[in-house]
Amino acid sequence: MPEFILSILSIFPDWLQVVLASLIKIIAIVAPLMLAVAYLTFAERKIIGYMQIRVGPNRVGPRGWLQPIADAFKLLLKEIVVPARSNKYLFVLAPILAIGPSLAAWAVIPFSDTLVLSDIDASLLYILAMTSMGVYGIIIAGWASNSKYAFLSAMRAAAQIVAYEIAMGFALVGVLMAAGSLNLGAIVNAQAGGLFSWYWLPLLPLFVVYFISGVAETNRAPFDVAEGESEIVAGFHVEYSGMTFAVFFLAEYANMILIAMLTALMFLGGWMSPLGFWSDVPLLGDGIHWLLLKTSAMLFFFLWFRATFPRYRYDQIMRLGWKVFIPVTLIWIVVMGVAMFLTPWGHLFH
Amino acid sequence: MATIEINGQTIEAEEGSMLIAAADKAGIYIPRFCYHDKLSIAANCRMCLVEVEKAPKPLPACATPVTDGMKVQTQSELARDAQKGTMEFLLINHPLDCPICDQGGECELQDLAVGYGRDASQYNEGKRVVMDKNLGPLISTDMTRCIQCTRCVRFGQELAGIMELGMAGRGEHSEIMTFMGHTVDSELSGNVIDLCPVGALTSKPFRFQCRSWEMQNHDGIAPHDTVGSNLEIQVMRDKVMRVLPAANEAINEVWLSDRDRFSYESLDSDQRLTTPRLKINGEWKSTDWQTALEHVAAKLKVINEEFGADSTGALVSPTATLEELNLLKKLMQGMGSSNIDYRLRQQDFRGNQPAPVLGSSIADFESASTVLLVDSNIRKEQPILGLRLRKAVLHGTQVHALNHVDYDFAFRTASTICLAPDAMLSELAILTQLIAGRTGSSVPDAVSKLANGTEASVEIVALANELIDAGENGHVVLGAQARMNPNYSVLTTLTSLISTMTGARLANLAEANSVAAWQVMGAALDDGKNTADMIAEPLKACLLFNIDPRHDLLAGDHALETLSETGMVVHIGNFHDEALDDCCHVQLPLAAFSETDGTHINCEGTVQSWTAAVNPLGDSRPGWKILRVLGNYLSLDGFDYNTIAEVRNEAVAALQPIDASRVNTEFTVDELPDNGLKRIYDLPLYHSDALVRRASALQGAADSKAAVVLHPDTLQAIGAEEGSSVKFSVGEQSVELTVSSSNIVPVQCVVIPSGVDGCSAIGAAASVEVAN
Amino acid sequence: MKRAAHIVKSLFLQELIKGLSVTGRHLFKKKITVQYPDEKTPMSFRFRGLHAQRRYPNGEERCIACKLCEAVCPALAITIDSDVRDDGSRRTTRYDIDLSKCIFCGFCEEACPVDAIVETRIFEYHGENRDDLYYTKDKLLAVGDKMEDSIARDRKLDAPYR
Repeated sequence: MPEFILSILSIFPDWLQVVLASLIKIIAIVAPLMLAVAYLTFAERKIIGYMQIRVGPNRVGPRGWLQPIADAFKLLLKEIVVPARSNKYLFVLAPILAIGPSLAAWAVIPFSDTLVLSDIDASLLYILAMTSMGVYGIIIAGWASNSKYAFLSAMRAAAQIVAYEIAMGFALVGVLMAAGSLNLGAIVNAQAGGLFSWYWLPLLPLFVVYFISGVAETNRAPFDVAEGESEIVAGFHVEYSGMTFAVFFLAEYANMILIAMLTALMFLGGWMSPLGFWSDVPLLGDGIHWLLLKTSAMLFFFLWFRATFPRYRYDQIMRLGWKVFIPVTLIWIVVMGVAMFLTPWGHLFH
Repeated sequence: MATIEINGQTIEAEEGSMLIAAADKAGIYIPRFCYHDKLSIAANCRMCLVEVEKAPKPLPACATPVTDGMKVQTQSELARDAQKGTMEFLLINHPLDCPICDQGGECELQDLAVGYGRDASQYNEGKRVVMDKNLGPLISTDMTRCIQCTRCVRFGQELAGIMELGMAGRGEHSEIMTFMGHTVDSELSGNVIDLCPVGALTSKPFRFQCRSWEMQNHDGIAPHDTVGSNLEIQVMRDKVMRVLPAANEAINEVWLSDRDRFSYESLDSDQRLTTPRLKINGEWKSTDWQTALEHVAAKLKVINEEFGADSTGALVSPTATLEELNLLKKLMQGMGSSNIDYRLRQQDFRGNQPAPVLGSSIADFESASTVLLVDSNIRKEQPILGLRLRKAVLHGTQVHALNHVDYDFAFRTASTICLAPDAMLSELAILTQLIAGRTGSSVPDAVSKLANGTEASVEIVALANELIDAGENGHVVLGAQARMNPNYSVLTTLTSLISTMTGARLANLAEANSVAAWQVMGAALDDGKNTADMIAEPLKACLLFNIDPRHDLLAGDHALETLSETGMVVHIGNFHDEALDDCCHVQLPLAAFSETDGTHINCEGTVQSWTAAVNPLGDSRPGWKILRVLGNYLSLDGFDYNTIAEVRNEAVAALQPIDASRVNTEFTVDELPDNGLKRIYDLPLYHSDALVRRASALQGAADSKAAVVLHPDTLQAIGAEEGSSVKFSVGEQSVELTVSSSNIVPVQCVVIPSGVDGCSAIGAAASVEVAN
Repeated sequence: MKRAAHIVKSLFLQELIKGLSVTGRHLFKKKITVQYPDEKTPMSFRFRGLHAQRRYPNGEERCIACKLCEAVCPALAITIDSDVRDDGSRRTTRYDIDLSKCIFCGFCEEACPVDAIVETRIFEYHGENRDDLYYTKDKLLAVGDKMEDSIARDRKLDAPYR
């Protein structure tokens, strides 16, 4: 934390200094994250528009740049409609439960070698725990709305997240086997050495499985049966409006960014420059900009998928999760284990 | 029978019948315009040209008799060429105005033009224009569209009996027209609208209202006369737009009287009752059904307890359905009262009441060899029966009329005897006595006393002989005026004596659904108070079922006075007017005939049920539902019907059999006062019930003119002239009426119609004095 | 063999990549968006927009209440009541088009024997409630009066093909 902030804080009593310092750090993470979410929605609309040979939003501000701000204002000002027969407390609680974990997970994300809010040893476990919490928001939202569509969607989301959580977990087992650590910073540092030392290559199947599971985990197209406009209108948030809807929206996009960043950290070498030998050169060397670039690239894939693939049928999603991804990850973990401990090719995975 | 071949199909046909009829029977369609199976053959449209083997030219199928071995082609090149040629000629002068033509969509020419016409005319010259004619308030004309098929002309000549339309001019100048300045005034005139194959003659009230394809058809039964003509009620957006006849050979064939055809106009009259209403402190307040019915039930219960069951009475219109009649009777009986009557225009209730039936089937009515009409203007009372009788006359039936007025029957009568009311009774007694003498029967003394030893005239002798000769083929018809006569019992007794002695069938023709009413009420009619009793002395409570007392009751204004002294008058009806508003306390809106399910029993005893064509107007309800719920509120047993079928089945099962023995043998004559003018009763065709009286087009028709008529000599004697206003007095009351003269009325008599404004002040009086 | 090929294909996500490449290529294609309201697409003289009722040059309404449009309307959007006008001619007393039912098929225009009901080039109309989209005879005649020049020009252009 910069010196001048610490010096300003030093006028406060000790206990307050800790609180304020944490608050400032949280804001330093959340505020850019919110802005990123806003412009991710803009990017989504633009990119999908371009892929459909149209121009996308271009009316608000120069070339439409103020569109997300306008949307945010609109959502802020809209009435929050609480359905008559819903469970009011749970109905309001659900969006908070959805966004809470997706923000909390960011606590352990290392943005660079030194830039991390909470550098804990078991950060990978913490991430897994937090991302699986998000589903409670969805289930409670679906149930509290007292709406058929919302309830159907909640059931779908629950089943889907459970299925892909496992594949995702196994994929990370491969990563931690390779890195030998549960600490995200350590995992990144273990990939030092340039493009070909990153884990995407040795762990290619796990990389693919992880990313696709991430798409499924965030209920994004083509795995968006929980929203499924054409079948269940808008799914779990069909009864939500105004700010409550916006919170779900934020949670979804924050999750997307999280997954993209985790992918970048665990498989694409995090803040490492693709050219290992330039690691000290400014700009081209290691730094947070590489992490953001890699995250953006992964996010682009999220959007690209949405523009390309039609929605999976529900049973196909289940099949893919349970009968393809889990066996693939299991087999690869076994292959890795055998290779690392019984064969001379173990170094390939380190 | 001859065997012929049409289009290769071998069929059997009556030798000498027309080719087109044989083809129709075999289901082979030949295009036609002028041919109609109820009319004579004109063969002037030439549309039905067909190819007949060995004939050098195409022959008109409607005028070519069938001969054995004939081979006919209706669709050969020659035949189709001929038909197409005819169509082209017809279309030369027919305007291309189908979009504004009321016949569009149901036009025979339009339909056939699709099959036989060209898409563009070869004819470039100007089209013929024919001036429209004024045919009265019922038929509108677009004569340019006429194709001179002459169906309308033939209908007038052959069926209606008056040649009101004719074709004048030749060639291109020929046109259909009436006599100078005349309109078409026949009581059956509406049928020419149906007959016209194009849009030259269309319905005036229906003019431009909607198109044929927009309407749904509902079957119905005509509510106005005792024939029960079958109807096609055509409905658009829950409104009756038009009424057409439905073919029923046994009843109305394919015809319909104007009264049945055009009375639908009053269904959305301003005077329709649309909400239940209560009079509170002299002010009418609309309310809901529950409040109104609870109010009625509570009041009736109180009156019943306080004054006894006999203080309550019900008057029901004969236009009511069988179900309504039965429920009303059951309601009254449930309350312990048998004061119920439907004979609204009768004043003589002495002796047994004969059933108001025809005595034969309607079709058999045509086969009578001799018909004696007593006090009957059959043509203007039961138009369809008049049409049947005219057909019979054309086939040789001898019709004799014994009437007060020399009516124009539109057919030739063998003899017509027109006498003043008292003289007519004597004449009928003389006839009875004469027949008794010839057949060796005995007659009551009263007959000879009435005959008074007078010598029978030549006509009466001839009539007596003819009736005796005819035997079972004779038919004695008692008309509607007889019922209004103060000596109705004398007339029924004498006519039934004649029919018993000669074996002739006896008809007693009444209004609307009277047969059902008679069969429902049966003995109750004799047990309780009749109409006359009920209006002689005010009751404590009176139910009026679809009755406008001023016009529907013979007593007219007098009935209104009595009712206004009645403690509680409940009016269940279609309409209300000022007089009704004054005299009643509760008004319950009743669904009209097109809005309710119901059953009609006609004069030959045919039971015909129909279902509602439209929803009841406003808040009105079908009568059976009103009475059913009222029965519940009165806590009466047996009112828990769920469907009208339950009501109907119960009513039909309980019908009194029509008993020919319910006739009198004794009677006393009610002597008429000697002073003043003797009244001749009349019920004008378009004043017969509330529905008809409000039908605006009918009220403009010639038959709606209800005049007070005197003989020119009598008119002169009282010092008045045609069209002047004369003050007539009955007892202490006097009323000014406009008079007209005609020598069809006997001297010293005056025709005063019932059911007409003004005349209602005269009431039932049998004679009037002229006040100065 | 086929089965093996299929497995290889699925394993390497061949079809997904094909799909991605299609959308990827389109990302760089020239965009075809027309910047409505600044620019508009060209419009045919047969364009079927907002309805109008026409008049003859002498001011007499064309409609003769033949109800053919009402009969032909597949969406049952037209409601007509007709009656005899004082001068004896056949006229509508009510001519309503419910534009929220209308599917703009143009059959009414096609069915009209007197070119009374026509569809104009107007497509930018709106209503703030349902009633605003319920066009009565007066409204339709007003549209016709306003648009008569363009309507007449369009009919003339279409005439050679009728």
